[in-house]
Amino acid sequence: MGKTMERRKFLKTGALVGAGAAGAYGLPLLTSLRASAGNALAPSAKCRWGMVIDLTKCPPNCTACVDACKRENNVGSTGDRLRDIYRIRKVTIESTLAVGVAPKAVPLLCNHCDEPPCALVCPIKATYKREDGIVIVDPHRCMGCRYCVIACPYNARHFNFRENDQRPNPAYPKRQRGVAESCDLCAHLLDQGKQPACVAACEGIQAKALCVGNLNDPASEISALIRNHSVKRLREDLGTEPKVFYIGL
Amino acid sequence: MELKFERIAGRSKPFYLLSCGLAGLVAAGVYSTWLMHDQGLHLSGMSSRIPWGLPIVMAIFYIGLSAGSLVISSLYGVFGKLEYKPFARVATYMALLLMIGALLSILTDQGRIDRVVVEPFSHFNFLSMLSINPFLYSSYILICAAYLIVMMAGNEKWTKILALIAVLWAILVHSGTGAIFGFVPRALYNSPLLPPSFVAAALSSGTALMILVILALFRLTGRPLDKAPVLWIGRLLAVLVLIAGYLVLVENAHRLYAHESRAAERFFLLGGAHSLLFWGGLLLVGSVLPLLILFHRRAGASIRWVAVAAVMVVAGVLCERYLIVIPGLAYPPDLFPGWTITQSPIEEGIASYAMSLYEVLQALGVVALMGLLFLWGLRTLRLLPTEARRPTEFPARAVAIGCP
Repeated sequence: MGKTMERRKFLKTGALVGAGAAGAYGLPLLTSLRASAGNALAPSAKCRWGMVIDLTKCPPNCTACVDACKRENNVGSTGDRLRDIYRIRKVTIESTLAVGVAPKAVPLLCNHCDEPPCALVCPIKATYKREDGIVIVDPHRCMGCRYCVIACPYNARHFNFRENDQRPNPAYPKRQRGVAESCDLCAHLLDQGKQPACVAACEGIQAKALCVGNLNDPASEISALIRNHSVKRLREDLGTEPKVFYIGL
Repeated sequence: MELKFERIAGRSKPFYLLSCGLAGLVAAGVYSTWLMHDQGLHLSGMSSRIPWGLPIVMAIFYIGLSAGSLVISSLYGVFGKLEYKPFARVATYMALLLMIGALLSILTDQGRIDRVVVEPFSHFNFLSMLSINPFLYSSYILICAAYLIVMMAGNEKWTKILALIAVLWAILVHSGTGAIFGFVPRALYNSPLLPPSFVAAALSSGTALMILVILALFRLTGRPLDKAPVLWIGRLLAVLVLIAGYLVLVENAHRLYAHESRAAERFFLLGGAHSLLFWGGLLLVGSVLPLLILFHRRAGASIRWVAVAAVMVVAGVLCERYLIVIPGLAYPPDLFPGWTITQSPIEEGIASYAMSLYEVLQALGVVALMGLLFLWGLRTLRLLPTEARRPTEFPARAVAIGCP
């Protein structure tokens, strides 16, 4: 009899401890799940930044956007191809389905997903989505675990493996080593009412292949572009809801 | 007969020599870790495409080993099997040390170690597997420590309660670690089977390590050891290896069958040096050969052969841990289905990883630190019994659970 009672008590304690742990963990988990579900696809903010890249206007051998980005954000090449930072990069793609299809030059950057996998996995919310839809890394909080680099399905995230002392733009801080890095649509410029460096550079060479604007404003240039063209986003099947739209992909 | 736990003397020349050697390795590990953080992680073999390397491989290897140690301890703690009581303390201590080693590996792998202590508390993300896990790991260390303390104090009631909590917590810890990889949308990561298969490999590798530790400790300290319980652990090991192997086979067969992951799986099975680790390391050396030994009528009953099988299982699971982390990163995400990237300023295709000397030294440093703490733990704590013999009289409960 005593034995059974003891066992019952023991099992009860175990169950209580388990339930307590589940509760302590489950409750905040549920609330944060609800919070993220509430934000998805229905940004209440007046402004929701997005980008359109018109590949038909993008000159194949031009790297004006990439160069301007490197200058603006102080992420110049260090000569280490495996560990260099590219907030925006330009790749050439060739069809594997049919022969004779002309290769395409495609600028790749952070897609500022509405459901960003990088922000989902960041253990300390150093990567987060701003109210205006920009996905951004706080370099002063990031502890450099690199989980976001792994979770990004677009290879758009990089890691500052070394201190980068190049500082062509004195108005912007130099890049610290040990933190993640990705395009933030030059939020520091957008917040001042200016164009991101890549967009300005593309306009500078009269190509005008890049356009950044407010997706929530029906009168904006970007909304018109999306309305009037057949646009594609990268790997829409993943459900990440990217906000970079391609014309001519 | 009452079990008597005694410290080891630890005054022999080999003991001090081993301690000094381990301390030297720890110093080398600390130095290389400091260098990697002073100058930057480019000193490691990691790159933007393979941002996790040896430290994470080793961390999940230790985490797994820790679970298996706890299983041995739970044979006494949870299931009340008295013939495993002699190993319970040392197994729990091992579980504790291995977890500390895992946390150290993860900690020193961060880009900004200075922020690790503060930031997680101010901006905890409950949805990230990487924030849930360190919480699980540190609480697991505390639970193991409490379990060891009550066990050494001889408090049977609390030993049972904490043993059960520790085992349940261990399953949570290992499922969580598997989820770090399994819940990420990469072709070779994304799998609901990864958490259970991580638990299975964890249990088999840890059990195998405990066999080796038990045999080495009793032989080196000249304490008598009854072989029957060790052979029984060998049989348990065979079952665990079977389960782990089964899960690995199912997972890979599914990837090969599903269209969207077939190319990635082909890369995994036949795509390079890592494929050798899969076929030769994990399957042949880590699973098939040990199973043949353990199920063999004579070899399975020989301590020497069981030890050989245990070494093979540990090596196989180390290969498996590498195979969880690296090939999944090396295989690129498909950015443009129907297109291939022919030119890029960065590495776009299949990425390559070669561990650097700094990473290796860091890993050896962590192993050496655990070894040092283990040795000195044996000297300061009463972890080992003077002898481990089959108890002459079994309490009814222990028999009822059934010992083959």
